[in-house]
Amino acid sequence: MLDDYLKANLAVWDEAVGLHVGSELYDVAGFKAGRTALSAIELDELGPLVGEGTKLLHLQCHFGLDTLSWARRGAVVTGVDFSGEGIGTARALAAEVGLSERAVFVQSDVATLPDKLSGTFDVVFTSWGALIWLGDLERWAEVIAGFLRPGGTFYIAEFHPCVFLLADDATPDDLRIDYPYFMYGVPQRFDEDGDYADPDAKVQNTVTFEWLHGFGEIIDPLLRRGLRLDFLHELPYTIRGLQFPFLEKDERGMQRVKGHHEGFPLSFTLKMTKEGP
Amino acid sequence: MDDEARAANLALWNRWTRIHEKSAFYDVDGFLAGKSSLWPLELEELGPYVQAGTTLLHLQCHFGLDTLSWARMGADVVGLDFSDEAIELARRLAGKAGLSDRAEFICSDLYDADLYLGERLFDVVFVSWGAIEWLPDLERWAGIIARHLRPGGAFYLAEMHPFAQTLDDEAPEGVLRVRYPYFAAPDQPVVDAIHGSYADPDADTDGLFAHCWAHDFAEVLGALTSAGLRLEHLHEFPCSPAPFWDWMVQDEDRWWWLPDGKGGRRRDLPFTYSLRATRPAGPGE
Repeated sequence: MLDDYLKANLAVWDEAVGLHVGSELYDVAGFKAGRTALSAIELDELGPLVGEGTKLLHLQCHFGLDTLSWARRGAVVTGVDFSGEGIGTARALAAEVGLSERAVFVQSDVATLPDKLSGTFDVVFTSWGALIWLGDLERWAEVIAGFLRPGGTFYIAEFHPCVFLLADDATPDDLRIDYPYFMYGVPQRFDEDGDYADPDAKVQNTVTFEWLHGFGEIIDPLLRRGLRLDFLHELPYTIRGLQFPFLEKDERGMQRVKGHHEGFPLSFTLKMTKEGP
Repeated sequence: MDDEARAANLALWNRWTRIHEKSAFYDVDGFLAGKSSLWPLELEELGPYVQAGTTLLHLQCHFGLDTLSWARMGADVVGLDFSDEAIELARRLAGKAGLSDRAEFICSDLYDADLYLGERLFDVVFVSWGAIEWLPDLERWAGIIARHLRPGGAFYLAEMHPFAQTLDDEAPEGVLRVRYPYFAAPDQPVVDAIHGSYADPDADTDGLFAHCWAHDFAEVLGALTSAGLRLEHLHEFPCSPAPFWDWMVQDEDRWWWLPDGKGGRRRDLPFTYSLRATRPAGPGE
């Protein structure tokens, strides 16, 4: 079953790469011209720990814009994604912007990464819409712990689990709950046309399988593998990309819930350190 | 905490103490007959850290049933609560249960705990179920916990889930929607007129109000981490020791669940969580 889920999701992500490279949301031209693809959130919180020579592993890197943005700040990066299209595009982009020497891209899902990559890293990074594609965060945590050097940092910036509970037709005045927080490993099947970067796009692969993970499910497996919690932050805003009718853009280009629930949590960040000498 | 909020909450908890003493929910007779008032969850998760002679501090202990249940397991306990009626009742129950020599009860505002506890250190600090929503400031709360834990000691918290706390408690059966703010706002308590009690919905509480404060995960974990504690576990659960709505259903272990409309229980939304955090032992300790 897991393989079937993976196959369906992979088809969607392989197809998405082509759509995203040309999208306004990803702004590849801007990246090539020197702009960072990273948001102010991860730049503020993780940026101080990423300098010249920092070894950074980026899990679920899509086509590598964020990975390469860290490389541009001096990091020596390894980007990993299960999509061959994503990895191929990432390598081409790395060459085009002259970062091939400090950017390696590996095609792999998270669970089997130790079969394809060895070594340890100063930082393991993952972000925005990654976790819903993983069925098993125990294995995810094991992989993260295995690739971190003692004293190394794990950092994630993600959409808040609570935002995924809201009904498709929720409105700013009626934030109804329609989706599960606990899924016990059983994914939700979606069949939707369009794409988050281009809602009007006509896509061939429309079926996805997604898992929501609550805070306990995210944090606890990492604690059990020797990572210490530095902080959990929850924010009432998020980067662009979520397609909910109850969201609006604020003056900084972040999304918030409209109306009197503007304090509803939309994202979280988590920083943990691997214990050891 | 401003004086009005404190006075209102104190009047409420003193009234609730009188109601709760006689409630089936608290089952004082059962406790005196030997039953533990602790939930299987607390016994499972914190029980291994509590043995004969373990020193345990129970903050916001209400009238002490849980405190005394830990004492009955051999712990030397201190219960602290701001309600004078609750502390008087706790002391009476300690006497009746023959636990007075290992159970001490202190009547104090949480934030004044240091005045009474001085430099005392405990092996375990315990807080549970509907406690922190009565506190505006978790930084000071966590500081008190950290100051009274010995190095290597364990703090345990079992609480209502911050997401569940946002849901509309007056919604009709089956309707789940967000009503209250998720994020902490220390200067803006949610003030609600009180109708009955979680332990006895029909009890007379006319004219009483609760002043409560939301506490998101980031705030709780941040306060504990800033105070120097290290998070050891964070668990979330789809059931609750008290119903959020009167249309929840209770199981044989007293947990309340969302009904699935087909005679079963929904397990898909979080209503409670537990965490354990330790004060790291220093070098050589």
